[in-house]
Amino acid sequence: MAGEPINEDEALARLRDSADPSMQYYGAWWLGRNRSQHPEAVPLLIEALQQRRPRDPGAGVEENAVARNAARALGKLAPAALAAVPELLAALADADDGLREAAARALGDLRAPEAVAPICTRLAGGPAVAGARQNASPRLMEPCEALLEALGDIGAATPEVLGVIEPFMAHDWPLIRSAAARALLQLSGEPRWAQPLLELLNDSQLQVRRAALMDLGAAGWRPAAAAISATLAENSLKLIALRGLIENGRGEPADEALLQTMDDLL
Amino acid sequence: MNSAPATSAATDGLIADLERASSTIELLQATAALARTADPAAAAALVQVLGFNNPGAAVAAVDGLIAIGPAAVDQLLQLDPRNYGARAWAVRALAGIGDVRGLDLLVEALLTDVGPSVRRAAAKGLGCLRLQTLPADERPAIEQRCLEALVEAVSDGEWVVRYAVAVGLEGLAKDIAWPIEHPSRGYTCAALGRLSDAAHEDTPVVRLRAALALQRLPSF
Repeated sequence: MAGEPINEDEALARLRDSADPSMQYYGAWWLGRNRSQHPEAVPLLIEALQQRRPRDPGAGVEENAVARNAARALGKLAPAALAAVPELLAALADADDGLREAAARALGDLRAPEAVAPICTRLAGGPAVAGARQNASPRLMEPCEALLEALGDIGAATPEVLGVIEPFMAHDWPLIRSAAARALLQLSGEPRWAQPLLELLNDSQLQVRRAALMDLGAAGWRPAAAAISATLAENSLKLIALRGLIENGRGEPADEALLQTMDDLL
Repeated sequence: MNSAPATSAATDGLIADLERASSTIELLQATAALARTADPAAAAALVQVLGFNNPGAAVAAVDGLIAIGPAAVDQLLQLDPRNYGARAWAVRALAGIGDVRGLDLLVEALLTDVGPSVRRAAAKGLGCLRLQTLPADERPAIEQRCLEALVEAVSDGEWVVRYAVAVGLEGLAKDIAWPIEHPSRGYTCAALGRLSDAAHEDTPVVRLRAALALQRLPSF
């Protein structure tokens, strides 16, 4: 069964077996999750990234599931997966917005500077175009959250990039504003972009509070430590956010005070 | 709280409010009110809330059970092991109370529970059992069980559990006066050393926490 523990050879064998997408799906996930260093992992994942398959309602599997999981796995396999950047850039232009989302996250994880220009192009229409809702669907025209977060992770802090991100601070959806504020905070380091995130920690929706926790952690914004600790959300997520402040941030509060805050949430 | 401890009659009234609660918000408010009494007579009702699959109310109930302390332990240990959700919250309550009677459940939770948040709470709890309340001749065996479980959990697959193991080992070691030649010193030191070493531990915050623990235990 797909859910049982397997080893690296078995994961590679499953990914090679293109007759069974559910096995490939699990094999791709395994290689990313376990940070496989095997020389065949990246070439096989690049091959899997080319696979296109419509959603099979009976199997309960998403559209292009194997390709999406291959993209996610590649994002976890730096530096070997830098060889996959051209294929990920191609996936960023795919008609499937779910695959574009997975490719954007992977390119952000890989800190691929080549992705900055194409991501900016996709976002250039701003909230009213890239950020408009698809007809009769809870999705946006572009996977804005993933695209914005990738720009923040890649770290090209030019006026052009900041100018593409900033209009999304006016998006209707708090999750998109959260992603935009996170990217602006990462890129500029200006405290004014932390303020909207601190306010979203008090949002009435749990899903939004969770996103703001993750975004403050990703930005490593240490002055948010006390607010993170007091947020109405699971301690598990607060601990991940505080880990982010320690590993990604600098300054005050210092490490020992942040570790104490974490200890208190265990 | 500045008010005097609640009388049993007042507690009975709050328990009745809890039983009448018909919405999520009423359940949360009634649980919080009952929890604030810290009255041992509230323990059974608070333990029941742990099984209601309502995280907000369960958090309030855990706080109340910790405030009640050792008088709540019997009720917590009587929970049906098949009621997984309630047991997970009970582990958190027992970890917070620190009563040695919770030892078996905490060890089992740390080594076998499927939920990382439960293993995390158990690891911290094993480091802060109130061992000083035990007769001196019973302490070494209990200390040994805590230490063995924590050392085994050094290889847990979740970073947050390994983080909690570092915290637990520090808590355990700082309260125990092991003679300088005692092997437990070596085990503790080796476990924390492993958690602080980049060759074995890939999560920076875990390494940082383990290094802090070693630094705070100067005799190690």
